[in-house]
Amino acid sequence: MTKVVRRPDLTFWEKIYFVEIFKGLATTMGHAKNSLLHADHFKVINYPDVQPNLPRDYRARHRLMKRPDGSPRCVACFMCSTACPARCINIVAEESPDHHIEKRPASFEIDLLLCVFCGFCVEACPCDAIRMDTRQAVLAGDNRRDFVIDKTKLMDWEPKDYPLEDAQSQKAPGGTLHAQALEEFKSGSYH
Amino acid sequence: MDILHWITSHPYQTAGLILPIAIPLILFQVLPLLVLLERRGAAFIQDRVGPSRAYIPLPGLRIRAFGMLYNATDLIKLLFKENFVPPFAYKSFYWLAPAIPVATGLLTPALLPWFSPILYQDGAGVSSLTGTLITTSSGLLLLFALGSLSVYGVVLGSWSSNSKFSLLGGMRASAMMISYEVSMGLSVLGLLLIVGSFNLTDIVEWQGHHTWGMFVQPIGFLLFLVSMFAECNRNPFDVAEGESEIVGGFHTEYAGVKFMMFMTGEYLHVLVASALLATLYAGGYELLPFPVPMLADTSGFVPFLTTVFRPESYLSLDTLWVKAHLGGVVAIMLGITAVLVFVFATLIAGRRRNYAQQDAQDRDMRLREYGIYCSAFTGLGVMLLLGAIACGLFMTTQPLVAAGTLSPQPIYPGWVNAVTAVLQFHIVIGKTLAFAWLFIWVRWTLPRFRYDQIMGLGWKVMLNIALVNLLITAIVAKAIGGGR
Repeated sequence: MTKVVRRPDLTFWEKIYFVEIFKGLATTMGHAKNSLLHADHFKVINYPDVQPNLPRDYRARHRLMKRPDGSPRCVACFMCSTACPARCINIVAEESPDHHIEKRPASFEIDLLLCVFCGFCVEACPCDAIRMDTRQAVLAGDNRRDFVIDKTKLMDWEPKDYPLEDAQSQKAPGGTLHAQALEEFKSGSYH
Repeated sequence: MDILHWITSHPYQTAGLILPIAIPLILFQVLPLLVLLERRGAAFIQDRVGPSRAYIPLPGLRIRAFGMLYNATDLIKLLFKENFVPPFAYKSFYWLAPAIPVATGLLTPALLPWFSPILYQDGAGVSSLTGTLITTSSGLLLLFALGSLSVYGVVLGSWSSNSKFSLLGGMRASAMMISYEVSMGLSVLGLLLIVGSFNLTDIVEWQGHHTWGMFVQPIGFLLFLVSMFAECNRNPFDVAEGESEIVGGFHTEYAGVKFMMFMTGEYLHVLVASALLATLYAGGYELLPFPVPMLADTSGFVPFLTTVFRPESYLSLDTLWVKAHLGGVVAIMLGITAVLVFVFATLIAGRRRNYAQQDAQDRDMRLREYGIYCSAFTGLGVMLLLGAIACGLFMTTQPLVAAGTLSPQPIYPGWVNAVTAVLQFHIVIGKTLAFAWLFIWVRWTLPRFRYDQIMGLGWKVMLNIALVNLLITAIVAKAIGGGR
């Protein structure tokens, strides 16, 4: 079944086009006048002098979460690199010295030029070790190597830049501190 | 020393020698203003900030000069680009083509009147220094001839590039420009019928003594305006280029300085078209759209600002008004300028307040920069205001009546003529920029026409309206003017 969509008929004044020109000119002049007189009504920001205020759940550059002792929370399970549709995550695993943890990443590299920022790695991670909440949406570099970020770059973040309610990431599940965290959780001091 | 002596004893002849160089140079000074107006105007229409990145770094300060530095950065970039010539191009025409728009754009100001003719004592007789660099009774025809030469730049550039995109753009642009020249010539004929002269100075003087051309010939004005949009290849008639279909159009194969010359020619063309519109339909160097009554003798009406005395064609004694009140006129003009400068300073202050609230990295530098602009423009406005008051109080003029001439034509001191000429030049430039803003405004408002729509509008609509307009004007002019 075909549905015929009729365009609305133009009125006489619309057909001669002339009046509509002046309407359009009035619209654009209104915008120009507003921009000239009311600078605070700009729809754009003065980037990069003013940075965009991105929401916290904006999928931006990744970061690796840390345990209280500063080691990566990642257990090198390869879930993220398996889930990654762009295959931009390269993990080399090694044995962990902590007897509670089986593996840890010897190297963890993300090629941001390949990354499509889909967030599947974050979804796939079983221990909340990778997040994309750095709000660094604009990435710059001089060569392609600059866009391949390694473990140190991924873990180079300050807890104070993140909301306080996110502090649970300081105490990771697993590892020698897991029991301590459980104790704290039971006594109510865990936050 | 002989040269210096000649210069001081022959100021008008010296001015006549300097002006042919000075006026194109002054136009080149207006050109960056036009480019800035285009950028900033486009940004403001689209609710953007506009050019704000190029700056001169000073310690603790960045001078952006309202985006004016973008002209300098563009120039540097284009000058230092490789002067590439595609191996398949016809070399001679390829090199010649970008020069033609610039050359015609620089030649046409020679035919426009920038100030009213100045009479001066030349030995025993009286000579006149005209506001046009080339004084000819067929000024408008010459202007149209030069204007239609600019189509050669497009055609040669597109053909010699030996590229299909270039050729398509050049062909359709040249066809459009030639088509619209017909209605352009016909639309201006109505005004010429009424004025009775091809001389542009005569046309402006007629407007000064009666009223602006756009009120006498409103339909002719609109047709001429639309034709000028087509002649300049501006929106909605910019078929010469088309990023979505034929890349850059006729200058697809051009880069660097040669591309810059095409762009310069385009903007010069806009400037010249605006100046021509101002001259033909907005009174040229006459400030007001109607003559004002003479103060000394209220029986007659004279143009607001003139230096010319033409008993043979118009009212006599018309020099009395401005000549006796030049101080007042200068005071009014300076006062208007001062008010505009104050408004501008207020706008910058508003921008500064707005920036103070933003969380910007360079907030302090911005605030310092805007503060400097604010104080500079406020100071300028105060100086202009003081100058206006001083001129209004102390500037008085007395005509020196020339002896031994055919008619008693009043001759004025050199500085009176100079001040009047400078005022009139600024009036023309102001009106030109106003029309240039119209070009920019329309460009960022209207979508472009399809090619068949352009041809249909040009041949089926505008040509017919122009013919009917000409016919009616001829009948009315004959009925009222009685064959003059």
